[in-house]
Amino acid sequence: MPTLILTENFEKFTSDIIIGIEVHIQLNTATKLFCSCASKREDAPNTRTCQTCLGHPGSKPLVNKKAIEFAAMLALALHCKINPEIRFSRKVYFYPDLAKNYQITQFEVPLGENGCIILDSGKKIKIERIHLEEDPASLIHPAGIEKSQYTLIDYNRSGIPLCEIVTAPEMHSPEEAREFMNKLKIILQYLKIFDENFCVIKADANISIKESGYIRSEIKNITGFKEIEDALAYEIQRQKQAIQNNEKLIQDTRGWNPDNKTTIRLRTKETEADYGYIIDPDLVPIQLSEKFIKQIQQLMPELPEQKIHKFIHTHKIAETDAKVLAAEYRLAELFEQIAVEVSPQIAAKWLRRELTRVVNYNKMNLSQLKIDSKHLIELFSMIEKNEITETVGQDIMNQLILKPFSPKEYVQKNNLAKIQDKTQLESICKEIISKNAKVVQDYKNGKQEALHFLIGQVMKQMKGKADAKLLKELFEKMI
Amino acid sequence: MQITKELVQHIASTARLQLSEQEINEFTPQLKEILDMFSQLDQIDTKNILPSFHPIKLENVTREDTLKPSLTQEQALSLTKHKQDGYFKGPIQQHIKDVQNKSIDIVECTAKALEETRSINKEYNYFTAISEELALSQAKNLKANPKGKLAGVFLSVKDAICVKGVESTAGSRILKGYKPVFNATVIQRCIDEGAIILGKTSQDEFGFGGFAVNTEIVPKNPFNKERVTGGSSGGSAGFTQKADFAHLSLGESTGGSIVNPAFFCGVYGLCPTYSRVSRYGLLDYGNSLDKIGPIAKTIEDTALLLNIIAGNDKNDCTSSQTKTEDYTKFLNKHIKGMKIGIIKDLFGDKVDEKIKKSIQKKIEQLESEGAKCEEISMPITAKYSIPAYYIIATAEASTNLAKYCGLRYGAAENLQGNYNEFFTKVREANFSKEAKRRIMLGTFTRMAGYRDAYYTKAMQVRTKIIEEYQHLFKKYNALLSPTMPMLAPKFSELKQLTPLQHYMADIMTAPPNLAGMPHLNVPIGMHNDQALGLMLTTDHFQEGKLIQIAGNIK
Repeated sequence: MPTLILTENFEKFTSDIIIGIEVHIQLNTATKLFCSCASKREDAPNTRTCQTCLGHPGSKPLVNKKAIEFAAMLALALHCKINPEIRFSRKVYFYPDLAKNYQITQFEVPLGENGCIILDSGKKIKIERIHLEEDPASLIHPAGIEKSQYTLIDYNRSGIPLCEIVTAPEMHSPEEAREFMNKLKIILQYLKIFDENFCVIKADANISIKESGYIRSEIKNITGFKEIEDALAYEIQRQKQAIQNNEKLIQDTRGWNPDNKTTIRLRTKETEADYGYIIDPDLVPIQLSEKFIKQIQQLMPELPEQKIHKFIHTHKIAETDAKVLAAEYRLAELFEQIAVEVSPQIAAKWLRRELTRVVNYNKMNLSQLKIDSKHLIELFSMIEKNEITETVGQDIMNQLILKPFSPKEYVQKNNLAKIQDKTQLESICKEIISKNAKVVQDYKNGKQEALHFLIGQVMKQMKGKADAKLLKELFEKMI
Repeated sequence: MQITKELVQHIASTARLQLSEQEINEFTPQLKEILDMFSQLDQIDTKNILPSFHPIKLENVTREDTLKPSLTQEQALSLTKHKQDGYFKGPIQQHIKDVQNKSIDIVECTAKALEETRSINKEYNYFTAISEELALSQAKNLKANPKGKLAGVFLSVKDAICVKGVESTAGSRILKGYKPVFNATVIQRCIDEGAIILGKTSQDEFGFGGFAVNTEIVPKNPFNKERVTGGSSGGSAGFTQKADFAHLSLGESTGGSIVNPAFFCGVYGLCPTYSRVSRYGLLDYGNSLDKIGPIAKTIEDTALLLNIIAGNDKNDCTSSQTKTEDYTKFLNKHIKGMKIGIIKDLFGDKVDEKIKKSIQKKIEQLESEGAKCEEISMPITAKYSIPAYYIIATAEASTNLAKYCGLRYGAAENLQGNYNEFFTKVREANFSKEAKRRIMLGTFTRMAGYRDAYYTKAMQVRTKIIEEYQHLFKKYNALLSPTMPMLAPKFSELKQLTPLQHYMADIMTAPPNLAGMPHLNVPIGMHNDQALGLMLTTDHFQEGKLIQIAGNIK
């Protein structure tokens, strides 16, 4: 008779903290993984369901080709080996959010294996596997999770394609875990297989510390990138505290409560379900041939690493600028469109500093930003040609992200071109000097700020159109 | 194999079943006996053998990422009484509790057929539901537009096949009130061809049985009401024998459920190649084994119905893209020069002598028609089919039946307790003992630690059995054996059989079902009030040859 084999090899670990992550990413397909219902849209409950995603007897699943393509793209971007033939399995457990009381997932052979994400330090975090599975329904507790007497179930989410990524337990701090998640997010942005505005990323994190002999806790369902760092930091403290208090840690599964920033035990290892996986006999094996992989490779956009390399070597901008731009898909995209028309250095500087500043100030999201690169080209080229001052440029940028307009026409219409006429400026300077005798005296007594005040007065009168450097020269000469 | 009461208890709770002390005492030795039988597979070497997760090579079927309309909210919620504000309403989750506790005139003709159906049914229990309203409205439509290859033919349908709006329960109490929101592909094809749906026929719950007794509505043998119809498609076969009007029936077979009742009721029953007929809309038993097929009084009718239902279906990715044939063209074709293998392993001591004798006469007749019959042996198939079949069937069934929990459709209990308690209560109260037994077996054989020895091993053995068949089909056009080892038993006789003895009755039918080979029961007369028959098996997609040979048996 076969015996149950439960092996947990802790011996290989040596660092203080061991973290491994499983990430679930909702893919941005039009339809669900196994039926033709819409996979997103804000909607009334149970309006995006059919016999398949409601688990009606007699219904049959049909695999969405696009979901396989998206998962294959992600596998390639994460440097995974793609398996030549994949199958789907049934993972059986009883839960109200599972329409069939089993989830269709991949068990034996995942779509991709053995990939990695490289952190800024150069450290490689191994991706053990990447596979496709269906999202369960969402559960709602009308009176809050602790007081509700029943659960409301919305099957709109049931069957949305999820890509699961499992890392090796190779991260050693919450910060590394967060960096890993950020790197993953950027790759998803580039691949356009994930819609930040609709789709959700969730993570489960395994964590253990040296002091306990690496007794592992799994924290479930952490949503958001900052949360993962907080949850892990809390859990490390909790485990350390327990050891200090001479408590014995046991392997368990915990939930993260983002409201009070703590984890709570959901179940212990002994009560973990036995999923009893079988091959899903309603589905057939799918072959991912070399030809298919080549087609996917052709669909792949340039990824952040390639972009950085290109920005440095082709566009000749500084490495730090290249990294910042490449880290946001939208910035990188705008940069490439603009750098053909305007000096890449100016484009890099203005996108990185000014555009980001204005976006942050307005609490906007770069991915939601509706800005026309044509308008940015006009703006930056006026700056490049010294036709407007930086002050005017910044002011135009402030307005440009709120509504589209042509900066060139705007400058003409409002007469905002930089004033380089010395005589005109001299006469205004004279006027300012005569109006501010006390300030002038301060400056003469060695107070440098006084000069800035005078320049500011001119600028105010000139609506920012004057060249600040020129003004400084003029004042120094005149006083 | 050591089976303790604790293990039985653990399996039951994994499968959300609650067993009484008596049931545990009963199940423990029964499961041990069956699992010992499963363990026969240890004797066969499967080193380097790939498992056959399907009996047919199927791959690369995907769907375009194109939207189709979803159900409306009302439709989605129409089958449950547990709803609120557009949501399904479910019991409280386990972990919340844990947090709290810290735990012709076709219209007239139809009316007449319905009347006759009701009267037969009163006596013989062939139907779980008679779809009078649907039949009459179809008849009216047909009267206005009398078209289709089955125009006006009355069709009875095994309960496990979905008919839109007609209660479809697969013979189970747990699906009481379940009215599908869609038609099975076979039903749609028959309706499109003008067939009139009479109703749903009685069967063993979810197909779990060979005598159609594992259900509440037990059909009776058309020749003697004290005898069984066989199963699991018992209602279909019995009614086919009894109905005196243009009638065809759709049965379904996982391990013999078409040919078995066809044999006991003296009619034709054809189980097609796995994947030949769409399973879309079939309430699953073992998805890699289930096949829908025709049951009819004549071989001509059988071929006619197969013509309608066979063929690829985009809604079922396990349905084959192999081209279909016009099966009626195989009627009235001679069999000169055909080679037929007589499976001698299936003519052993345990087979009723009357069956053996009646088949012998037919073999002689086939030879006189010019066929060459030779004895052949299938040692692996004969020995290992039953354990491999029961392992695969129960493993798959136990996952299929997980969905029945009283939440979205079917039996509706009051929402009480946490979700585990609720699911367990619904399942405990509404599954029969045989369903529980098979869920237990299937849950066990796919458990971590046992899966490779049972589930995966059985899939590998299936590969060897398919190979044994295909080796023979290089030389022979068809194989011949009894359909069942015994003549139709009385209900009283059945009661003395253990579950294992019940399972062993599938000795003839499990092999072709496991290997996905098409097979056919040919009725060959009577012995007093008991029907006689023989079974023909051909290679994948050779349904035509079954019809050709059957047409030559007189």
